[in-house]
Amino acid sequence: MSDQTATARDIALLGTLARRIRFAVALALLVILPFAVKPFLLDLANQVLLAVIGALALMLLTGFAGLISLGTAGLLGAGAYTVGAMVREFSAPFWVTLPAAAVLGALLGLIFGLPSLRLRGLYLAISTLGLHFIVIYLGGEYEAREALSTGVIIDSPSIGSFSLTSAVGWYFVLLGFAALSLWISVNLQRSRTGRAWRALRDRDVVAGALGIDVQRFKLLAFMVSSTMTAVAGALFAYYRNFVSIDAFSLYLTVQYVAMIIIGGMGSIAGALLGSAFVILFPYAIETVAALLPARFANMVFALNYASFGVVMILFLLLEPAGLMGIGQRIRNSVGTWRSRRSVTERP
Amino acid sequence: MSLQLVANVVVLAAIYALVSTGYVLIYRVSRVLNLAHGELMMIGAYLLVSTAGVFSNEPVIAILLAAVSGLIMGIVVYAVLMRWLTGEAVLAAVLITIALGILLRGLSILVWTSQQFYPAAMFGWKNPSLTILPGVQISAASVAMVCLTILVYVGLFAFLQFTRWGIRMRAAGQNPLLAEQRGIRLHGVYAFAWGLSTFTASLAGMLLSLDSGVEYTMATIGLKAFPAALVGGLDSLLGAVIGSVIVAAAEMIAIQYVNPLLSDVVPFVVLLIVLAIRPWGLFGSREQLDRV
Amino acid sequence: MSEPLLAIDDLEVAYHRAAVALHGVTLRVMPQTIVALVGNNGAGKTTTMRAISGFIGLDDARVTAGQIRFAGQRIENQPPHANTARGIVLVPERDKVFPNLTVTENLAVAASRRATATERRHLEDLVFQFFPALAALRRRLAGLLSGGERQMLAFGSAVVCKPELLLVDELSLGLAPVLVEDLARRLSDIRKELGITVLLVEQNVGAALAIADYGYVLENGRVVLEGSAADLRGRREIQQSYLGQASGEERRSYRALRRTPATERPHG
Repeated sequence: MSDQTATARDIALLGTLARRIRFAVALALLVILPFAVKPFLLDLANQVLLAVIGALALMLLTGFAGLISLGTAGLLGAGAYTVGAMVREFSAPFWVTLPAAAVLGALLGLIFGLPSLRLRGLYLAISTLGLHFIVIYLGGEYEAREALSTGVIIDSPSIGSFSLTSAVGWYFVLLGFAALSLWISVNLQRSRTGRAWRALRDRDVVAGALGIDVQRFKLLAFMVSSTMTAVAGALFAYYRNFVSIDAFSLYLTVQYVAMIIIGGMGSIAGALLGSAFVILFPYAIETVAALLPARFANMVFALNYASFGVVMILFLLLEPAGLMGIGQRIRNSVGTWRSRRSVTERP
Repeated sequence: MSLQLVANVVVLAAIYALVSTGYVLIYRVSRVLNLAHGELMMIGAYLLVSTAGVFSNEPVIAILLAAVSGLIMGIVVYAVLMRWLTGEAVLAAVLITIALGILLRGLSILVWTSQQFYPAAMFGWKNPSLTILPGVQISAASVAMVCLTILVYVGLFAFLQFTRWGIRMRAAGQNPLLAEQRGIRLHGVYAFAWGLSTFTASLAGMLLSLDSGVEYTMATIGLKAFPAALVGGLDSLLGAVIGSVIVAAAEMIAIQYVNPLLSDVVPFVVLLIVLAIRPWGLFGSREQLDRV
Repeated sequence: MSEPLLAIDDLEVAYHRAAVALHGVTLRVMPQTIVALVGNNGAGKTTTMRAISGFIGLDDARVTAGQIRFAGQRIENQPPHANTARGIVLVPERDKVFPNLTVTENLAVAASRRATATERRHLEDLVFQFFPALAALRRRLAGLLSGGERQMLAFGSAVVCKPELLLVDELSLGLAPVLVEDLARRLSDIRKELGITVLLVEQNVGAALAIADYGYVLENGRVVLEGSAADLRGRREIQQSYLGQASGEERRSYRALRRTPATERPHG
């Protein structure tokens, strides 16, 4: 460590001893978790890990590069359906379907990204919305043609005689994928590409004048993000052993958008927080719903929608910086409280 | 192409055109895209269900009451929610309307449950199929829809062109800063635009419910009308009419000659084509694009 | 001595809480006079206008110190419609008309509560008297007007608001000198006829001083020179730096001629 320059030490992720200890403790907790909690909570944890991949993908695109996309559900569906179709038609194994989903994701990313070369902001969002509906339609077409009114059933991924069916096993697999996504995100953020994306987000006209190949980086952002999202969709299909196009509605896209807004736009930690929040939220609502009079208790679906809408509105109005913003405020007020205390305690 | 197809296109175009007025009014005046419009239209229809329940013997009162409530609903949405975003980034406002739409969907089920209602039946009205020309049949409610759309458009054109407040609304849409400098209170103008928008949406929703009933999936029609508004240019009423005809025609032709399942996706294919060629729509003002 | 209609004292304005645009500006506008505020680009003229008219919130600017008093009342950091209601009407530098409204509609748009309906109609008639050229263009879309016609319309739509204090931000931009002279004269006529007060911000010093009663010179957010218009016109410094009549000697900037002495901060 003494060979490193001061700057290298500053920007190293785990430079200080304190950070390394915190990382080790977090790692230990993550490893112990599946053995320490009930199966229901383990399933929740798995759902959160799945969501993290998609949330990070959206964070890269919208938070980093500033490119608004409402196509998340379509991409998740595309990834899931690649698995569904390939398993059904060719009984393809996962080491074929997953890369296939990734490739399809990249291709769709290219397509979804093309409008961004001409359109910005609202109009870009609208174009991704249009593409979402087209992807969903194609999935629906497939279901209709194959008379799959209830979707496609998929076997768990297997190698030889070993099949991935246990929740604990899935936990570690998903943790691995989530960690990989995290690693990709962090590295991209700190790389030349990440800086180019930030320049795009802030002022793409200026970025272009500075010699940044705006088109290439926009398409790159879409492709990377879409690949990750499609893979997440594929994993989702395997995890549930089931694919149906109905699951990939606009509401799903909004949930992912909510994840990065509620968590805090432009921040990786925000994406993680937001994923956890949005995934766990419906279960919290269900618990509350059980306490309500029977008439409402039976409409959990509607309660979810309504309360989700309210929470999103509250965050957008009051704390656009999301949970990270709230955390910052708490830290600020604790900080001033501490310094006020130390002042008064001086003899 | 049969006359029946033409008739179907006209009816569908009328629906889209009437719903589009809402998108155009709000966008033109305040540059906000209200993605909760479909849900607001649906609530308008549900309001009729409620008033029809109370005034089942006086349909006129029930309809008027529901329409006025629809107007008030828009003003309330602005006053309580959207006003805080005036002056902020447009995208934040659009995201809030998305969240509002979700909230309204949940709320509508909580208040009115997920069953399907038929206000026409509640009034004891039948909806016969009329033969307006040889070989051409459309429902009575559809005829009413087309008439209402024409009325609304004429009324809106007249209001915006010839009344002082109409001119002020157009001014606020062109240059909000200058409008403020000339004494126009933007909050008032925007609130009224929202009220007018939900008013026409409620009328559309009510008429649709008289034709085919109402349940919580009605909001999708609102979303399908959006491409019609965009194709015409989000800030042009005339564009909304033309856009509606184009989208309705494309949709009906696709259903008839290609595949009925295409009905939900054709509007968005048209949307993408227009976005690729002429993003500001046929009659929209070009500057809008860069402001975003 | 009568009271000034507008009194600004030690006004400081900062953008984004960091970039200071006005470093303590003091000026007085007496009723029914035309006061010119001149200076180069970036001197702080538009910022001053924004502060007075209430449109200071743009670009996250704020009045951080000092006072603006209009008819005795403090008006810093108030919303624009409050100031419009008081009779402070701004003719902006850019986007001064509604491009997709006709000339008549542009005049009809104003929603000032200060004028009764009769007064309104009277004022609209007056506008066409002041600017006869506009009468022939009643149905023309404002966006299709020439630069000079647009400026006339902008004045007209301000007059219809029954202003007490008319703030004009750059009347000469993009206009031929002959037009500028003509417009300036009409502005002076309006002032006389309606008894309003005018604060005119201008890059074209000659045109401004031709109609003004009093003038202030801004440089780098400070008033560096003031005086009656006749005085200023005669000052050699003005002639050299602004009227382009340099005699070949060193061109000087106003750092050398600051009103307040050495108690200044070191760097302008």
